[in-house]
Amino acid sequence: MPIHFFIALLTFSMLSPATVQASLKLPETVKVDPAALTAEPMCDPKISPAWREAQEIEGVKIAASPGCSPDNPAWIAAAVKGTNHISMDTLMKTGLSPDAIIKTDDLDGDGDPDRIIIKLEIMELNGKSPDFPGLVPTFDIAPGIQPGAWVFAPKTSGMSTENFESVRANPLLRLPSPVIRVEVGDIVQIVLENTHYFPHSIHLHGVDHPFSHGDHAGQDGVPQTSEVELMPGGRRVYEFQARQPGTMFYHCHVQTHTHLAMGLAGMIVVEENRPNNWLQTLNIGAGHVRHPSVAVRENFDQEYDLHYHAMDKELSDIIQKYNDPRLIARDMNQRYDITDSTEDYYTLNGLSFPYTLRESLIIVEPDQKIKLRLLNSGGESIAVHTHGHHATITHYDGVEHNPVAQIMRDVFDMAPAQRLDLKLETVNDGKHSYGEGDWLIHDHREKGITTNGMAEGGSMSSIVYKSYLNGSGLPKVSHFGIDLNKYFTKEYFERRLPVWQDLDEWSSLGSPGEQTGLSPQGQTSLLNGAIGLLIGLVIYLIFAKREQIKQSAVAAVSRLKGAKGSNQK
Amino acid sequence: MMKTTTITFLLAGILAVSTNAIAQDKATTHEHDHHDHSGHNMNSAQAGGEKQQTDDHSGHDHSGHDHADHDISAEQHADHSAHATSSESAEHGDGHHHHHMDHDHIMDHEGTMIMGQNLDKLPSSCKSISEEVEITVRAGRKYAAKFPGTAFAFDQQQWHVKPCSKVTWHFVNEDNIRHQFMMHGLPKYLYKYGMFHLEVTGPKTVTGTIIVPGSDDTFLVHCDISHHMEKGMKAQLVVGKGAENIPSIPGVTPYNINDKYEAENLPKVSDKAEQSAMVRQITAFTNNNFQNYGMMLIGTIVGLFCLPLLGKILFRKKKTG
Repeated sequence: MPIHFFIALLTFSMLSPATVQASLKLPETVKVDPAALTAEPMCDPKISPAWREAQEIEGVKIAASPGCSPDNPAWIAAAVKGTNHISMDTLMKTGLSPDAIIKTDDLDGDGDPDRIIIKLEIMELNGKSPDFPGLVPTFDIAPGIQPGAWVFAPKTSGMSTENFESVRANPLLRLPSPVIRVEVGDIVQIVLENTHYFPHSIHLHGVDHPFSHGDHAGQDGVPQTSEVELMPGGRRVYEFQARQPGTMFYHCHVQTHTHLAMGLAGMIVVEENRPNNWLQTLNIGAGHVRHPSVAVRENFDQEYDLHYHAMDKELSDIIQKYNDPRLIARDMNQRYDITDSTEDYYTLNGLSFPYTLRESLIIVEPDQKIKLRLLNSGGESIAVHTHGHHATITHYDGVEHNPVAQIMRDVFDMAPAQRLDLKLETVNDGKHSYGEGDWLIHDHREKGITTNGMAEGGSMSSIVYKSYLNGSGLPKVSHFGIDLNKYFTKEYFERRLPVWQDLDEWSSLGSPGEQTGLSPQGQTSLLNGAIGLLIGLVIYLIFAKREQIKQSAVAAVSRLKGAKGSNQK
Repeated sequence: MMKTTTITFLLAGILAVSTNAIAQDKATTHEHDHHDHSGHNMNSAQAGGEKQQTDDHSGHDHSGHDHADHDISAEQHADHSAHATSSESAEHGDGHHHHHMDHDHIMDHEGTMIMGQNLDKLPSSCKSISEEVEITVRAGRKYAAKFPGTAFAFDQQQWHVKPCSKVTWHFVNEDNIRHQFMMHGLPKYLYKYGMFHLEVTGPKTVTGTIIVPGSDDTFLVHCDISHHMEKGMKAQLVVGKGAENIPSIPGVTPYNINDKYEAENLPKVSDKAEQSAMVRQITAFTNNNFQNYGMMLIGTIVGLFCLPLLGKILFRKKKTG
């Protein structure tokens, strides 16, 4: 009997101090060690800084592009001269097929070629392999974010990956589909070589093209009106001679509700006809135009192609789920329901923040005029906001707006497939510009600045004045105490890094650790349990010792009686 | 990036620039001599930039002369393979278009490529060439037809050769797009990156030669357009008794990672039979109704006429009672 009491007392005495202690202190903050993160350099070290400089290759003047990942100058030389007019050395630096861009025949005698043949292939990014669990060839739109995608790619030569050891895509195989530039009056042939495993087509949205061409039959790209689907392994020519200039759009029109979102969409610009107008036929990866047309140079200091796009994870996952094309076709065509879909990835020129900082900054100087060509190929309307600037809308869907009626805005709403040409003037007058800085440019639907719902991401980028650019071509933010390093880790986009942990020294908004010891609820219930146990013990003891108790009770009673009796006696 | 790679721009007569596929078929060697034009521009780094005038004869033939509108039949392919680009024809081709003569990397104006060719260097494990063989490999979408769930394939998925044999590959691309015949794992002292690579946009043929090592081995052969390999364009070269098999070769080795297949609710002819069964059911239902109503009618008649009768009988009984 004394043993039972002892145990009960011990339990009770142990519990009570613990209860007091735990309710006094919450779990410690656990700070993620930066060494535990997969940190990427903010600027891609594979891209040579020498590419940023103004240079001349094959007689092609290439403007400086001080951002951290500028276009390969050899690409620009090849795009301007045509792959048939450059040296083998330059061609080998591009990775393009020697017949990717063929320019011939100065038909109007104005000093530039007027027959342009552009060969496009269709490539898969982040697809599935039956050999290993990873994806191939990989293309990250943000650190660790690899949505399955398809693109129109300039015709390449050799491997799909960077090299034999790598699964990363050859730099020519990327989002977005390249920007195409042709001149009014050019006889253009876009040759689609369907290297993909599904049928496809090209629809030249907004570009002046005949519905049907004598030599090539129907060519509006629509399988319900002008042509049958172009099957894998096949080739089709889309020929046109545009009479009107403007910023236009090209995309696949087969199962458009999925193929467009998968990435088969690009910007096509018809430039005004000018003498000696050697155009940069392809702007691979869009962004800064380093060899603008004569007409653009007449009126502007710089030109940028800004292609906004959106992708649904549920859709892009399909090509990572199956290898069998029949299963992919089934899920995309019959099971995927776009009316139930939500967009998850928002990109500018194929990338999301922070990669937009590498190659889609609009880098300006004071008192410049900059031409911005915007395309929205996403499935919803967007609202692009330029911090610190009001820009003038000069063209809607490639057609010039009446100059007298042109308006200035700081939010530019764009319906799906819409194009806007903007004139951005960096005049510090409080209206055109509020002065120098690193001014955000972003889709003001707030989901537009997220990547799969995680901010900061999405299509946001910056209008950066050169005085706010650091040596590696990224916005200079450290003088404000800003550290962008956390965005260059895949753990951030895996939602595993507390966003605000580094805002103060003790990580006041970091991640709380696990509860050590018992939770208050646990303590209470344990306490109740102990009390119960104690009561149980008492009852047990009463029951077990009932004879003793009875005897002692009887004894007590008899003693009392005895006492009385003795009194009576 | 390719500094170490010596590149030869090859303008073999047969592969004349803008000759379209049919023209190529019909062309005689004599004609081809007239066709070497745009190659000039490829090699000579022309200055002058934007003021440069387009080269006259690089012009006309390109324009509109894409193979796209020509339908090439299988019979014509056979002709193509006869006109194959081989290193020999390259060497005896149009001399003044060559930068260097090197078997390491040969490419023409259309991207037809031979890389890592080896005509004469014996592997250290070989004393002499055991045999000389020629293998024709056909590549195209149609060869995927016999392997459900693939998109592109070679006509064969496996080739067997003796150790130390000299193999000349005629790679016939029968599609209108680019395909590759890329072999990996060859000895690196003979083959840069251990690789031999043929590439051609069809319909056309390219030819290249290698000497295989003296030991039993199995080499991966594939098209390196990623999704072509993933979706069927994969094979293996077995030297001697071979080594370990390469995975996921259609019809030869299983996939490492398999898709899941399930029965689908597809329309079937028997569905129509079911439909007529449904029609029958509907008619049967109305028939049933008719029966029910009929019975009700009979019941009503019985009620109207027989019950009063029954009542009378009962009343009589009471009266008599």
